[in-house]
Amino acid sequence: MRRNLLARVILVLVVIGTAFILGWPPKKIPLGLDLAGGMHLVFQVQTDDAVEIYVDQTIGRLKELLSRKKIPVGAFTKKELGRFTMSQFSPDDEGKIRDLLDEYLRDWDYGFTAGAVNLTLRHAAERTLRSETVDQALATINNRVDLFGVSEPTIQRQGGAEGDRLVVELPGISNPERAMNLIRTTALLEWKLVHAGPVAEEAALLQNFGGQVPEDMEVVKGDPKKTEGGYYLVSRVATITGQDLSSVNLDRDEMDNPAVGFELKPEGSARFARLTEENIGKPVAIILDGKVQSAPTIQDRISDRGIIRGRFSIAEVRDLIVTLKSGALPASIKILENRTIGPSLGADSIHRGLIAILASFLITLVFMVFYYRGAGVNALVALLFNLIIIVGTLGALVTMKIPVSLTLPGIAGIILTIGMSVDANVLIFERIREELKSGRSVLSSIGFGFSRALSAIVDSNVTTVIAAFFLIQWGTGPIKGFAVTLIIGVCASLFTAIFVSRLIFDLVVPRHRKVEKLSI
Amino acid sequence: MLQLFKETRIPFLKYKYLALAFSWTIIAAGLINMFFFRGLKLGVDFSGGTLVRVRFLEPVPINEVRSRLSDIKLGESKIQEVGTESREYIIRTTLSKASLADAEAAEIEATEIMANRVIDTLVTDEDRRAAQAGLQDISSLDQNSLAFILEPLLLEDASAQARKILDFRVERGVIRSWNELRDLGLGQDTIDRLKERCYLGSLAVLSKESVGPIAGDYLWNRARLAIIYALLGMLIYMAVRFKLAYGVSALLTLFHDVLLTLSVFSFTSREINLPVIAAFLTLVGYSINDTIVIFDRIRDNLKILRKAQFEDLMNLSINQTLSRTIITGGTTMLSLVVLVLFGGQVINDFAFTLLLGIIIGTYSSIFQSCPFLYFWWKIFKPKKGMRK
Repeated sequence: MRRNLLARVILVLVVIGTAFILGWPPKKIPLGLDLAGGMHLVFQVQTDDAVEIYVDQTIGRLKELLSRKKIPVGAFTKKELGRFTMSQFSPDDEGKIRDLLDEYLRDWDYGFTAGAVNLTLRHAAERTLRSETVDQALATINNRVDLFGVSEPTIQRQGGAEGDRLVVELPGISNPERAMNLIRTTALLEWKLVHAGPVAEEAALLQNFGGQVPEDMEVVKGDPKKTEGGYYLVSRVATITGQDLSSVNLDRDEMDNPAVGFELKPEGSARFARLTEENIGKPVAIILDGKVQSAPTIQDRISDRGIIRGRFSIAEVRDLIVTLKSGALPASIKILENRTIGPSLGADSIHRGLIAILASFLITLVFMVFYYRGAGVNALVALLFNLIIIVGTLGALVTMKIPVSLTLPGIAGIILTIGMSVDANVLIFERIREELKSGRSVLSSIGFGFSRALSAIVDSNVTTVIAAFFLIQWGTGPIKGFAVTLIIGVCASLFTAIFVSRLIFDLVVPRHRKVEKLSI
Repeated sequence: MLQLFKETRIPFLKYKYLALAFSWTIIAAGLINMFFFRGLKLGVDFSGGTLVRVRFLEPVPINEVRSRLSDIKLGESKIQEVGTESREYIIRTTLSKASLADAEAAEIEATEIMANRVIDTLVTDEDRRAAQAGLQDISSLDQNSLAFILEPLLLEDASAQARKILDFRVERGVIRSWNELRDLGLGQDTIDRLKERCYLGSLAVLSKESVGPIAGDYLWNRARLAIIYALLGMLIYMAVRFKLAYGVSALLTLFHDVLLTLSVFSFTSREINLPVIAAFLTLVGYSINDTIVIFDRIRDNLKILRKAQFEDLMNLSINQTLSRTIITGGTTMLSLVVLVLFGGQVINDFAFTLLLGIIIGTYSSIFQSCPFLYFWWKIFKPKKGMRK
C-alpha cells in the first residue's frame, strides 16, 4: 500500500476536485417539498366517468347508424357500467343489426335474447380506454401546470399501466388553494342559447313549456359566486365549446373588469355567427362545468372573437385561460392524498437542519481531536471530504437529470452519515492501538490496523446500504431523499475512511526513518 | 494515549439471562399493550386523517382552539401547541376505524374535506366578512396577485415590491400588522393601497396534510414491504458472509430491536408515521452494523485462539470491541441528540426514533446477539465449531 504515493494523491485530488466542481454551487440541488414548500398531491382518475361517456357515445353512434340504415329501434337502456340493452326492434331486422354490430362496434360483445340485444364492452377495450383516460388526464394536468408557471413540477402515473393514480408535485407554490382548483376543474366550457330564465324557482322556468323540459333543452344553475344564481333553460346542444377556441387571452370588459378574450376556429366561428345572427336580443349562457358563468344578451352578429365576462378576479381569469388552453379533463379526479407545506415552515426547517448539521459536525470534531489527537485530525479531513463527495454526487445526479432533491429527512441522513462515517475511522484507530499495544512497530500497526478492520467495515456498511436500497425502492416522498443521502454517505465513507485516511497516514508517517511514536 | 477503557474484562455473557428477561418482559408487556389495549397509534400517514398546522396572528389559548373545533364534528382529534406563545398549533384528526368503511364508500375525499373544515372553523367572522367584501387575505396571496394589486400605483416596480413583501412573510410566517410593512420600506401610499384591497388574515396555514383511506392503505403496504425485504436482504447477506448461526442470531436481534422500539412507542404517546418507518429501517441497519463488528471479531479470534472456551472467547471479543462500540454509539448519539433538540417539530418523531434505536441497537448487539449465538452453539453443538 505504500507504493504509488503520488498516484494515490492525484486520484484523491481528482475525486475531490470533481466532486467540488459538480457540487458547486450547492444551491443547484433542488430542495424537496418539505423544505421549499409546495404541494404533493395524489389523485385518482375516475375512469368510470370515461367508460360512462363512451357508452353514451356508442349509443349515439348506434342510433345514427340505425337511422341511416332505416332500421327502427324502440329503446336503449343502460345497465351496469359498460353494458346496455337495445330492444323493441322487429325480429326481421335481427340479421341486419347483427351485420351492423359486426362491422361498426368491434369493441363490443353482443348477445341476442327475445326481442333484445345486450351489448357489453370488451375487457381489453375497457382496459385500453381506462388507461388512455389516465394518460390524457396526465397530459392535461401537465399542460395546466406548465402554463400556470410552476418551476420543476413532476407529474407521474403511479402503479404502471393499470394504475389510475397520478402523483403531482408542485414545489414552491404560494397559493395552494388556487393551484388545486386549477388542476381539478374539468373545464368543460360551453355556449348555449338561453330559452328562459334566470328565475329563482325551477317550476317558474317551465311555465311556458307546459311544466316539462322540452326534449332539446335542459335546466342549468347559475354559479352562485359569479351570477345572481337561479335557473336557466338552455339548449341541450352547445353551439360552441372550449374545443372551438383557437386562442384565449387576458382582456378587460367595458367596465375595466378582467375578462377572458377569445378567438374561434373557422368551423366554430361559422356556427357562432349563425347563432348570433338569428338570435339578436336573446341571451346566450356561458357555462363552465355545468354552471352558468354569465349570460350576456346578443347585441350583434359575432363571428370570430369575443369576451367571456363574469365577476372574475384577475387570478380567476388567468386560471380560466390556463384551463381553456390545456383543454378539458377526460374524467373527474379525486384527491387521495394532499400534503401542502407552506414556504415559511420549509424555511424554518432549512434553518434548523443547517444548525443541526453544523452542531453535530462540531461535536464530532471536538471529540475526535480530543480523543485521537493527530489521528483525529486525519478522521476529520476524511469526514470533510465525505461531505464534499455527498454534495458533489447530488450535484452530479441533478446534472444527469435524475430526480433527486434535498429533503429534511435527507439532512437527517447527512447527520447520521457524519456519525457513522466516523465509525469506520474508529474501528481502524482502535485496531491500530491494539496492534501498537501488542508491541508492533508503528508502520506495521498501521498496516495491520487497516487490513484487519476492513472486513468489519465493509460488512457493516453493506447491510446499511441494503436497508437504504429498499427504502428507495419502496419509500415515498421525503423518505427517498433520506435513503439517497444515506447511501451516498455510506459509500463515500468507505472511500474516505479506508483510502483517504490511509493515504494521510502514509504521507505523515515517514517511510524510511524508524518511527517511534504515532499520535493516535 | 487517551482511553475510555483500560483492558476491560467484563464477563458480559454472565448477564445473559438477566438481559433476556429484561428485554423480553418489556416486549411481552408491549405486545399485550398493542394487541389488547390498542397502545400503538398509527399516524395520519397510515390510518388516514388530517394534520393541519396553523399560526395565529394574535395568541389564542389552546382551550379556545379546542372549543372552536368542538363545534364541528371531528372524529378523534388532537391539538398540540408548538412553542410557548399560544400562536402555533398542530391539529390532527383521524377517521375513526368504525366510520372508515362508510367513509370509503361514500366519499373518497372525506379527509380533504375534513382538513378544509378545520381551517374554515378557525377563521374568525371578521375574516369572513372581509373576504365576502372582496378583500384578499395578505397571508395567502401569491406574488402575481399581489403585484397586480400594486401595479396601478407602482407600475414596473410592483413585482419587486411584491417579492419583498412575500419574502418577509415567508420569514415571519404571518404578517402581524401594517406597521411591519412600513418598517420594510414601503411607502404610505403603497400601504394604503394594500389596506384598501387586502386584510390581515387572523391565521396562516403553515401546512395541511390529508391522507385518505386508500392512500393510507397504499402507504402502509409499501412500508411493510420495505421492512420485510430489507430484513430478508440482510439475512441473505449475513448467511453468505458468515455461518448461518450468525445470520439467524443477527436476525433475531433485529426482531428484538424492532419489537422493543415498538413497545416503547406503545407506552409513550408517539405515533407511527412514514418518517418513523424510515427510522426503523435505519436503526435495523445500524444495529446489525454493531452486531457484525462483534461477530467479525469472534470470527477472527476463533482462528487465533483455538483452545479457548467459546463463552470466554465471546466475552473477550465483546471487550476488545467495547471502546469502538461505545465511541461510535456515542458520537452518533450526540449527533442525534442535536437533531432532537434543534431539528424542530417536523423531524422530531424521526430523530427520536433514531436516537432510541441507536441506544437499543448498541445494547442488543452485546446483550442479545451474543446470547443468541451462544444458545445456538449450546443447542446444535456444531461439529466443525463456529468457524468459517
